[in-house]
Amino acid sequence: MLTVLIYGAVTSAVLAMLAVGFTLIFGVARILNLAHGAFYAIGAYCAYSFTALLKLPLIVSALLSVAVVAVFGMAMERVLVRPLRRSSLAVLMITLTVALTVEQVLFIAFGSQSKNVPAFVNFPINVHGVSVDGQRLLALAIAVVLIGALWLFIQRTRLGSAILAVSQDPEAAQYMGIPANRIFTIVMGLSAALAGAAGVISGPFLSVRPTMDQTAMITAFSVVIVGGLGSIPGSILAACIIGYSQTIVAFYLNPEWTGTVSLVAILLTLVLRPSGLMGRVVNA
Amino acid sequence: MSALLEVEGLTKHFSGVTAVKDVSFTLEAGEITGVLGPNGAGKTTLFNLLTGFLPSDGGAARFEGRSILKTAPHVIVNLGMARTFQLCRPFHGMTVRENVSVGCLAPRVHAGGGLDERVAEILGEVGLAHKAAQPVEILPYGDLRRLEIARALATRPRLLLLDEPFAGLGAGEIEPLVQLIRRLHDSQGLTILIIEHKLREFMQLVSRVIAMDFGEVIATGAPADIVRHPKVIESYIGKGANAIA
Amino acid sequence: MGKRNTIGAAVLLALFAGLPPLLHNHYLTGVFIVCAIDGIWAASWDFFSGLTGRENFGQALFIGGGAYAAAFLNGNFGLNPWFSIPAGIAVAVVFALLVGFPTLRLKGPYFALATLASAAIMQQVAINLWQYTGGSEGIYGLDTLIESSLGFYYLVLALMVATVVVLGLIARSRWGTIMRAIKGDETACQAAGINVTFYKIASLAVSAAFAGLGGVLFAHYQQAVTPDDFDVFLSISVIIMAYVGGLGTIWGAACGGILLNLMLELMRGLGEYRLWVYYVILMVVLFFMREGFVAPLWRRLRGGNA
Repeated sequence: MLTVLIYGAVTSAVLAMLAVGFTLIFGVARILNLAHGAFYAIGAYCAYSFTALLKLPLIVSALLSVAVVAVFGMAMERVLVRPLRRSSLAVLMITLTVALTVEQVLFIAFGSQSKNVPAFVNFPINVHGVSVDGQRLLALAIAVVLIGALWLFIQRTRLGSAILAVSQDPEAAQYMGIPANRIFTIVMGLSAALAGAAGVISGPFLSVRPTMDQTAMITAFSVVIVGGLGSIPGSILAACIIGYSQTIVAFYLNPEWTGTVSLVAILLTLVLRPSGLMGRVVNA
Repeated sequence: MSALLEVEGLTKHFSGVTAVKDVSFTLEAGEITGVLGPNGAGKTTLFNLLTGFLPSDGGAARFEGRSILKTAPHVIVNLGMARTFQLCRPFHGMTVRENVSVGCLAPRVHAGGGLDERVAEILGEVGLAHKAAQPVEILPYGDLRRLEIARALATRPRLLLLDEPFAGLGAGEIEPLVQLIRRLHDSQGLTILIIEHKLREFMQLVSRVIAMDFGEVIATGAPADIVRHPKVIESYIGKGANAIA
Repeated sequence: MGKRNTIGAAVLLALFAGLPPLLHNHYLTGVFIVCAIDGIWAASWDFFSGLTGRENFGQALFIGGGAYAAAFLNGNFGLNPWFSIPAGIAVAVVFALLVGFPTLRLKGPYFALATLASAAIMQQVAINLWQYTGGSEGIYGLDTLIESSLGFYYLVLALMVATVVVLGLIARSRWGTIMRAIKGDETACQAAGINVTFYKIASLAVSAAFAGLGGVLFAHYQQAVTPDDFDVFLSISVIIMAYVGGLGTIWGAACGGILLNLMLELMRGLGEYRLWVYYVILMVVLFFMREGFVAPLWRRLRGGNA
C-alpha cells in the first residue's frame, strides 16, 4: 500500500512536470503543442548522449540537455509555429509533424532499442520499510522544486507578470509595451525546459526509446485535459489523479493498460466536461 | 382569438445574476410588437430563451399553444418561429442565393422542386435579387441585414423575431429597412417582435411596446404612452442625481 | 460537369487504367493499388472535413475498423472475403456514430483531439486484446479478393472512381449545401431550421463508410492487418493528401492521395529518409499552399472560370 503511495507520487510528479509545461504554453499562447512529448524524448536522449557517449559529468549533462531542449523549443516556436498562429488546426498539424520528425530522427540516430541512462542516485532508499529506488525519489524532489520555482517566478517577477498579462489578453499587453511574440517564445522555452527536465530526470527509470514521446504526450495530454487546459493548479491536481490511477492499474491489474487509462480519461473528459476540472468552457 | 405567442413567468439565471425575471406577455397574430430597454435589460436573452438557444430556469412559453421550452432551435423554426441575430451571421464561403436557399431546405418548407423559384421570390421581396450570385463577403452591412431577414423568411415563419435590425446601419439604410419590414407585415400578415434601441424608427413600426429593465417587464402599452412612462425614462436616464453618486 | 472537366477526368482515367498493364510489373501494380486506396481514403476525409470545416484527426479509426472487420471475418472465421466489404463499412459506420454523438459538439481543436484520442484508444485496444486481435503482430493470412493483381487493381480503381462520383454528387446536392452552411456558421444554420447535429453525424457516417471500404480493400491487398491501421500517422497522411489535393473538392483529394503515394514510392531510394520529405511537404503545404496544389493547378491549366 505504501509502495503504491510512493510510486504513485513519483509518477504524478513527473506527469505534473510534463503537464504544467504543456498547459503553460496553451494558457499563454493558445498553442496546443503536440511536439511536447518530443521535448521530453529529446531531453532523455540528450542526457543519454552526454553521459554515456560523451562521458560528461552527470550534472553538466543534465543542465546541457535541458538547455538544448529549451533552445529547440524556442526555435520551433519562432520558425514554425509563429507564422501559423492564426489557425489552431495548422499549429496542431505542424507540431504533430515536428513530433513525428523528431521520432524519425531519434530512430535513425539511435536505433529502436531502449537506452540505459545512468542514474544520479544509484542506491535504493528505505522509506518506512519500503525500499524505493533513489532516482525515483530524486525525480519527485526535483519535480516539486521546479514546479514551485516556476510558480514563484510567475507570481513574483516582472517577467512573470508580463507572462500573466499576455495570457489574459495579448493585444492589451502589447498596447502596454509588452512584446507578446517574444513572451510566447520565452514561455515555449520554459515549457520545453520543463519537459526536457522531466526526460532527463526520469530517463534512468523509464524506458528511453524513439517512441517515448508518444506515451509521454498522450499521458501529459490526458492530465492537461482532465485538469483543464490553461490551468496550472488543474494540471497538478489531475496529474495526481491520473498518476495514481495509472499506478493502481499497473499494480493491481495489468501494466499494459496504463496507456489506455489516459486515453479513456481524455475521451471521458472531452465528452462529459470538456473544460476539465478547472479550465474554460469549450463547446462549439 | 387565442394568442400566437404566450409567455408566462419566464426566468433565466446566470451564476448569480438574474438576466430575465418572471417575464410575461402575449402576442396576437398580425401585430408588430417592440421590446424596448437599455443595454443589459435582458432583451436578447429573452430572444435566446424563446428561440431555443438558451435553456430557461422557470416559467412557460407557448407558440400556437405548443410549449417551446426545452426544444431545440431548429425544431422551433420548423414550428413557424424564425429569428435574426444582432450581429449578422451569414454563411461564409457561399453566395447570397445559396445563403437563402439553406432556409428553404428546412423541413417545414417542403421546397422539393421549385427551390430556385422560391429563392428568387424571396430575394425579390427583400430587394437583393440583383446581388444573388455575389459572395456574402463583399456585401455592405445593410445588404447583410436584408440577407438575414431573407434567410429567416425562407423558412416560412408565422412569427419573426428581429434582434436590433437597425444596429450598425447608416442613416440612409434605416428608412428602406423600415419600409421593408412594414411591407412584409402588410403583405404576408407576418407577426413581428422587434428588439430595438433607436426610438424613432421603432415608433414608426410598432403598435405595442414591451419595456424591460434589469430582466423585468416594467411597462407595456402604446408607443406614445411608453415613451412618457416614468419608469421607462428612469431605466434609460437613471434616478436623477442619485444615480451618479 | 463541364466539358473540360470531363475531358480531363477521362484522360486521367485512361492513364491510370492503361499504365499498369503496359508496365507489366507486379510490384508497380501493387503501388498503383495503394495509390487508389489512398485516393478513396483522402476523398472520404475531404467529404466530411473539407466540406464542414471540422477537421477529423482520427480517420484511421474508420480505416482500421474496416480492416479489422475484414480480418475477423475472413482471417479468423474463414468467411468469403467479399463479405468483408459490407461488414467493414458497417463497422466503420458504427464507430462514426459512437464517436460522433459525443464529440461533434466540441469546438475545432477539441474535436480534432477527441478524434485523435479515439483512434489512439482503438489502437491500444487492438494491441492489448491480443488474444482476439493478434496484438502488435496483428492478423495475417487473409485471402485476396481477386487473384490477379491487375484484376485487384481494376476493382480498386473502379471503387475509387465510384467513391469520388458518389461523394461528389452528395457534395453538390442540397446535403452538400447544408454541410457548407454548417462550415459557414452553425448557429445561423440552426436558426434556418436545419438539424445540424443530424447532418454532422450523417456526414461523418458517410465519410467513415468509404474510409472503412478502403480499409477492407487494404486489408485484403496486404492480406494482413496490424494496429498500425489505426495509427496517427495514417490519419495525418490522409489529411496531407486532402490538403495537397485541395480541400472540399473531393476529386482533388483523391488525386492528392494518388500523388503522395506515387511520390513516396519514387523516394524509396532514400530509405528511411523519405518520411522526412513527406513531412517537409506537409510543412510546405501548410505554409504556402493553403488552397492545395492539385485543384488550383487544374483550374489554371483549364483556364476560364468556375
